[in-house]
Amino acid sequence: MLFRPRPRAFAVRATLLGAALALLGCKRPTAAPEPPEPDPFETTTDQPIEPLPLELDVQPGKVALGERLFGEPLLSGDGKVKCSDCHLESHALADERPRSAVAGRPESPVNSPTMYNVRYLYKLGWSGRFDSLETHNDALMTNPNVMASTWRGAAERLARKPDYAERFRAVFPDGLTPENVRAALIEYERSLVTPNAPFDRYLRGDQSAIAADAKRGYALFKSYGCASCHQGKAVGGNMLQRVGVMRDYFTDRGGVKPPDFGRYNLTKLERDRFVFRVPSLRNVALTAPYFHDGSAPTLENAVTVMARYQLGRELEPGDAGLLAAFLRTLTGEYRGKAP
Amino acid sequence: MKASFFLRSALGVLIAAFAVLTFYAVRYAIDDDEHARYTRDLKRWQTLDTGLDEAVLKARSGLLTQYDPVVGAVSELRRLERSLRRIPRFLPAKGTAALAARLDASSGALANKEGLIESFKTENSVVQTSLHYFPLLATSLVDRVHNDPAAPELTARLQALVSAVMLFEVSPEAAPRVVSASADVREHQTVAVKLGRGRDLDVALAHARIIVERKPAVDSLVQQILGVPTTKRAALVQESYSALHRAAVDAELARKQWLFALALAVVVLGLTEVILGVRRSAQALEKVTLELYRANDALAVEHEKERQLGELRTRFVAMTSHEFRTPLTAIVSSAELLQSFGGHWDAERRVEHLARIRLAAGTMQRMLEDVLVIGRAEAGVLRASPSPIRLDEFCKRLVETLEHSSKQSHAIHYTFLGDPDVTLDERLLQHVLGNLLGNAIKYSAPGSDVRFDVRTSGEECQFAVKDAGIGIPAADLPRLFMSFSRASNTEHVAGTGLGLAVVKKALDVQHGSIRVESELGRGTAFFVTIPRRLTNIDTTLT
Repeated sequence: MLFRPRPRAFAVRATLLGAALALLGCKRPTAAPEPPEPDPFETTTDQPIEPLPLELDVQPGKVALGERLFGEPLLSGDGKVKCSDCHLESHALADERPRSAVAGRPESPVNSPTMYNVRYLYKLGWSGRFDSLETHNDALMTNPNVMASTWRGAAERLARKPDYAERFRAVFPDGLTPENVRAALIEYERSLVTPNAPFDRYLRGDQSAIAADAKRGYALFKSYGCASCHQGKAVGGNMLQRVGVMRDYFTDRGGVKPPDFGRYNLTKLERDRFVFRVPSLRNVALTAPYFHDGSAPTLENAVTVMARYQLGRELEPGDAGLLAAFLRTLTGEYRGKAP
Repeated sequence: MKASFFLRSALGVLIAAFAVLTFYAVRYAIDDDEHARYTRDLKRWQTLDTGLDEAVLKARSGLLTQYDPVVGAVSELRRLERSLRRIPRFLPAKGTAALAARLDASSGALANKEGLIESFKTENSVVQTSLHYFPLLATSLVDRVHNDPAAPELTARLQALVSAVMLFEVSPEAAPRVVSASADVREHQTVAVKLGRGRDLDVALAHARIIVERKPAVDSLVQQILGVPTTKRAALVQESYSALHRAAVDAELARKQWLFALALAVVVLGLTEVILGVRRSAQALEKVTLELYRANDALAVEHEKERQLGELRTRFVAMTSHEFRTPLTAIVSSAELLQSFGGHWDAERRVEHLARIRLAAGTMQRMLEDVLVIGRAEAGVLRASPSPIRLDEFCKRLVETLEHSSKQSHAIHYTFLGDPDVTLDERLLQHVLGNLLGNAIKYSAPGSDVRFDVRTSGEECQFAVKDAGIGIPAADLPRLFMSFSRASNTEHVAGTGLGLAVVKKALDVQHGSIRVESELGRGTAFFVTIPRRLTNIDTTLT
């Protein structure tokens, strides 16, 4: 008698459970709406150059933190080198020296290019070694000749400073972690876009945005064939090209050094010898000296060399100036002013 | 209870099966968002791949002003590749390895294509520049030199080279023509140098060489790019995925049907168990009530027995004291008379009184014996002590004793048949036959006949005692063998009501049986059967 009520309660519960579960099984979730995807084949102009987008998809909190980290020597293994040692804030985040020299590090083999519009580069590094900011940052971080560090080490050093933990917690749910150090830095780099250059305004239809000589310079830029490589949003950065297509640049310069082998150093393929990533010409007026070896001190000098060795042409008198006038209209705005 | 146990076990098994199935149903539940993502990615992959091929073809024809669409599509394809590698969890585990393998093949194709596109862009940019610039340079050279009388040959050769290059652009078979036309032009190089156009001629020839040497490479790259089976591989991925998704949908449907069936079975079994439980409770209640009633009845029966026993005892004591008092009074009065007047009485009168005393004492002795037999039987200590006897002699002696004690008032017709050697308790047999024969004499008219027939046959002794007496009323027959119970027509005959009770008790102990036939006013017959060889049975246990 004592045992009797329980099995019945069990049976009652089992029955209700069965009924409830049978009903539950009938529920059907609804599909989420499809997010719109950008069409890569769509261009805004029929020109070889695309204006930079005016809108940015970055998180300001992370950008601010990344900007701080960009100037933070604690990221480096010895706490002495910061990103901005080579990407100078005073020089449009490029190096004014042909090769960067930082205390305790060997001189860099190539010129340090600008960080601006780095997100629009299809490949990173002069030899196009990296496919993403993530892999490039990883490589620079661990390179003993650059940061000589690790994200973990950097995070540990930052944690010893009083305010970093709090700053990270403010923008990352999981606070100060090696992954978040990298994420903040990359978010800052992704924010380094310089839209609204006079030439972009011209492309968007503002005929008065650039002067007549710049317009003539642009026409020359296309007719000489510069635009066959320097093209797209970044006016470069979307392909690889051999230095010295028409003439032997390196012999004329006075000898070849290993960094001059370019992509060959990566692939060891003969066809990649002297092949480099075509650099972006955005803000090029601010980022002298030019080329991977930093051998061209001025725009006029650079366009002359390029025409000679890449196109097999000697510029007509005055054309170098016109081309330079066009190139100067590629200087955009960062946070409302020139970078 | 057995059915209920089975039901509950089945219910338990069903619920366990339900739980297991539910786990799988949740684990492999089709995530519509994930499915949408995957099919969207696959579709987009194919769209982008096709668009990429078109963009490459356009670039080869100089119709694409920039490579951003190409690199944008490649980047997007790489992103899709990463997305596609996140295989939805709901797919059957068995098939995902095949899907992953096809994704690997697809990724390999994409990497291959990307490398080719990289080379294509590099080479194509140069060739496009040359294709663009060579005719301009060549015609401007012609313009510069054609007025010079020294250069008609050069002009013609230059024009031939331009047409050869233009032909080559549309027909690769024209390559030898370009080569020979270039050689022809070079023959007149000195003329151009003389005219100050040596360098221009060099550049024009260099571009012509680039065109004739690199354009086939670009075309070959384009063929290779178009030949990379990215679309085919993606179609295989899609095929794999579709099959897996279909299998997942089927499996989910099957699981849902099973879940529904199980839930239904749980509900049905559960309800059955509930109903059966209710019924069981009702039955149990009924049973308990019945048991209570039965116990009550049993108690009532016990109580009645106790009451009857008590009544019997009261009657026994009353009867005994009454029956004992009669002979005792005779003894006491005769003794007093003898004491007071014995001296004056003659011998005859004294003997008469002494005989009365002896008779009364004898009656009391017999009564006492009867009471003792009944008492012992009721206490369960009456036992048969069998010994070998000669039955014919025993019966003859008994008949003689009775005839003697009844002063020859009745003639006892005694017969004996069969083997006289038996093993019986002589004392108990005396009680049985003495009482039956005594009653036959007592309740029949003096001078009437009493028959006593004894027979042994096989394993039995049969005794028949018949009289022609007053008979027993039918109504009294059921109570015939009870102590102190006397038939209603015996009031004028002295008796204790113990005789037949003693007979019955003595027979019970000897495993005997008794049967009676009686007709009121005509006579009574008792038939007794006793096993012939009585072993010493412990009757306390029977």
